[in-house]
Amino acid sequence: MLRRETGDGQFCPGSEDLRRFRAFTCAGAASLALAGATLFAGGLGDPALAKTPKAKPPATVTTAVRRITESQYRHTIADIFGPDIKVNARFEPERRQDGLLAIGSTDLSVTTSGLEQYFALGGSISEQVMDPKSRDTQIGCKPADPGKPDAKCAREFISTVGQKLFRRPLTEGEISARLTTAERGATLAHDFYSGLQLSLTSLLLAPEFLFRTETAEPDPASPGQYRLDAYSKATRLSFLFWDTAPDAELLAAATSGDLQTPAGLNKQVARLAASPRLDDGVRAYFTDMLQFDQFESLNKDAATYPKFSQAVADSAREQTLKTLVDLLIDRKGDYRDIFTSNETFINRYLASIYKVPFASSQEWTRYTFPQSSERSGILTQVTFLSLFSHPGRSSPTRRGIKLHEIFTCQPTPDPPANVDFSKVQAIQNGTVRTRLIDHMTNEGCSICHQSSDPPGLTLEHFDGLGQLRTTENGLPIDVSADIDGVKFSGAQGLGKFMHDDPNVPACLVKQVYGYSIGRAAGYRDQSYIARETEAFAKSGYQVPALLTAMATSPEFFAVKIPAGVKVASQSDTPTSPTR
Amino acid sequence: MKRRLIELAATTAALVGFCGAASAEWSKTYVVEWNEAAMYYGAKTGVTDPGTDCPKGTNPEIDQVKLLEDAGYTPAEAKWLRDPANPSRSPVHGQNQMAFRGEGRANVYIHPETTKDYGLVGVSGKISEGINLDGDTSTGFVSPTGEKGIDNTFYKTLGCWKTYRGPPRLSSGALTFNDSMREGAWTVVIVVAGKGDDPMNDKAVDVGFYMSGDKLVKDGNGEIARDYTFRIKPDAKFEALFKAQTKDGVITSRTAADEVWLRDPSYTGELQLLRARVSLTMEKDGSLKGYVGGYRPWKPVYDGWVRARGPVIESLTWVRLPDVYYALKRSADYSPTGPGGEKTHISYAERVDAIPAFVMTPDASKQVTEVTSYKAMASKEPPEKKKIYVVDGLVPDPKVPFGESLKVYPVPAKVSEAASAAPASGRK
Repeated sequence: MLRRETGDGQFCPGSEDLRRFRAFTCAGAASLALAGATLFAGGLGDPALAKTPKAKPPATVTTAVRRITESQYRHTIADIFGPDIKVNARFEPERRQDGLLAIGSTDLSVTTSGLEQYFALGGSISEQVMDPKSRDTQIGCKPADPGKPDAKCAREFISTVGQKLFRRPLTEGEISARLTTAERGATLAHDFYSGLQLSLTSLLLAPEFLFRTETAEPDPASPGQYRLDAYSKATRLSFLFWDTAPDAELLAAATSGDLQTPAGLNKQVARLAASPRLDDGVRAYFTDMLQFDQFESLNKDAATYPKFSQAVADSAREQTLKTLVDLLIDRKGDYRDIFTSNETFINRYLASIYKVPFASSQEWTRYTFPQSSERSGILTQVTFLSLFSHPGRSSPTRRGIKLHEIFTCQPTPDPPANVDFSKVQAIQNGTVRTRLIDHMTNEGCSICHQSSDPPGLTLEHFDGLGQLRTTENGLPIDVSADIDGVKFSGAQGLGKFMHDDPNVPACLVKQVYGYSIGRAAGYRDQSYIARETEAFAKSGYQVPALLTAMATSPEFFAVKIPAGVKVASQSDTPTSPTR
Repeated sequence: MKRRLIELAATTAALVGFCGAASAEWSKTYVVEWNEAAMYYGAKTGVTDPGTDCPKGTNPEIDQVKLLEDAGYTPAEAKWLRDPANPSRSPVHGQNQMAFRGEGRANVYIHPETTKDYGLVGVSGKISEGINLDGDTSTGFVSPTGEKGIDNTFYKTLGCWKTYRGPPRLSSGALTFNDSMREGAWTVVIVVAGKGDDPMNDKAVDVGFYMSGDKLVKDGNGEIARDYTFRIKPDAKFEALFKAQTKDGVITSRTAADEVWLRDPSYTGELQLLRARVSLTMEKDGSLKGYVGGYRPWKPVYDGWVRARGPVIESLTWVRLPDVYYALKRSADYSPTGPGGEKTHISYAERVDAIPAFVMTPDASKQVTEVTSYKAMASKEPPEKKKIYVVDGLVPDPKVPFGESLKVYPVPAKVSEAASAAPASGRK
């Protein structure tokens, strides 16, 4: 029995139906597990496409495949189908490489369980899109007979939505495969919308959606050279500025070839940078750079930090992102001021942690920490202070390591395997400074600790949750530091030190570049990074200016052909529109 | 010039700011994290164990079958009615048939005097928590610290009732009601403000209890977290202002407040206190602990328990509610109209535990630094009427003969006739 019908005639998949359903929708996803790990010419294949008559390999080279992040997935779905669509799923863990998840995403595939998650999620989204209450708006056309297949309406929907999901127009093969699915599903279920739902699920499962595939094409202006094709450019820009798939205007610029011209590129970058949606891009970038993914596993000892809760953790994360968007985007402030500005936002939960009144009837309110608070920028917000501490105590070492790694791009090697931590962990003794001095008598540890601990110790007036304190075990806490001969004290001294450290803006430029292109800046990128850093300084260290300058520079879209990949001959026709 | 001192209790370490010109010289603000009737516990452990307060322990569990037999049911009827396994004993209201044990099957919860007073055993010990309300040290209890003249007849009357008995914060009643508050059902904030140099010793102190619409927040240990912010929600009824003084950190009323209303942590919901006083201690850890006391009307106490579904209360807390009615009525010790008037009120004290919190004006624009009335700002809309259906159904529907649903066990005709005539008038 292939089909059961409920009393009201609705299609209700039984086990055999489910098998067939999965066969339809999984057809487009069968290569998913391979897609993330394999670079290959000619695009990522849907098995259904193998039947298409075009046998000639296209003159393009896939230069990178990156799994889209959870936030990119969510933003894309919200953009296409509206914010009311619920995206209820656990996404597969991401991998941090060279300080960024964005770089690690180039090495990610999809596990079997991950595919199950995407499958369930795709089905859930499709079902919501095809909800009778909203499907007329979502689909944009009506079938001649809702009880039968309708190729015209189905094609219209698949083409339109498919382009938004794949971030490029669908090939005829990709469309016809989904049309077949829609037709067979509608016939089986006696319902046009059930068939279209299967097609949409197939699109949502497709590697072309779940992975950002960057493609190079022969550069007509430089024979023998390659350039990023227009759709890959559009995608790179859109995910950098807005953390979502390209909108219609950007795709149109790619289709027309405008995006391959300097003027067209400048116009689109200016538009992206001027949009309020830049907030999403900046939030996504700093969420990655500041390693906020670690909030998902953050835990605190309730006996030591009873005020910690998931609500506090969520609030802290939001506080820092709001602070950054306000300073860097809304006020076009100096990036270096993130270490010194005490203008921020708090809610009721955070006000309790900071021990200040919450003077608002709204969920969030602006707040400026007074000088007496000892706070100084984002290093003294609950995010950094709690995230880089232990569950039951602060950690100058962890704070120092992360400060170097995140803000000056100076990673610290892992500790040797045989370290004796007993002296550091004897938290009932003295202050952490005295315990670390004891610990550093171990020569194998001292080199790294001499670098990490001084800045971390200046933050010791904040406990492992970020609450102000001045004593530990009844002893006054010394927050003085001497870094490279520069003496200062406390968090405010550290904030000033970081503000003035030239490594800080240079590191941001390097990180933004790596975040955008999906690989760490290397030796060959040094001069470019140096030029962009200089331009960043001239702009007054304005982040929107940095993004604009980078996104309009030729180096930003420079193509690196993977080793061993056969490239097209000069006579091959580029697939990307050009002028 | 005196140094302006703001000791907002929530910021013992951090000075937050200065108050406006009209405000007090110092102020501390709190939120109530626990409150319960002040019932001194005289045993060492356990709820039912004998102690100096209740030498025979709590009032024992009720034999409800016998209670029904006393009311005229046959032993078979009584057992059938009390058998929870009987699926048809009451298709709608479970064990609500316990109501109809008054004279002529009257509902004893509505008409408690239609049944006899079995006698609720009260406290016989000499020690009680609370406040000396009448200034007379020759009457009343002695406090646990030796203060004489403690007036708390409410405790004397109900202190051996299982629901009220137990160590502080551990009686079943207190746990139930405070759970409700701590889960966000209501919030009470306290503002203490003085004009002297030393908050611990100040002759002119004002204390205000206000409602807040902001919910309490629990910390990682399940306790109420400190330092949260609460906006005062002006309430036309629930507000209590006291003229007080401090001595060595203990806040005591200078004069009694004629009438105040507080949110009562019980099924009564409302706590009117006449001749009200406070005795609160500012603890070293920043918290505030102590009592607010006065004379409360006793009848709403009884009504509250009845409305909370009398049969269930009787079963779970080992009491016959009409006994509570008789005991409170018998023990009432205050008449608002004077010594010769009807004693409608009973001396009472409530134990209050509060923690540091930020208290804001209703619009959240400023921290509250003085004690003043906000009643004029209260919404003119009548308060939402609480829907309590508990008593509904206890009165038999005259259109449905009692026993109609009792198909399994036929009820004698005389019982049916009597029941369908309920509610009967009370016994005079």
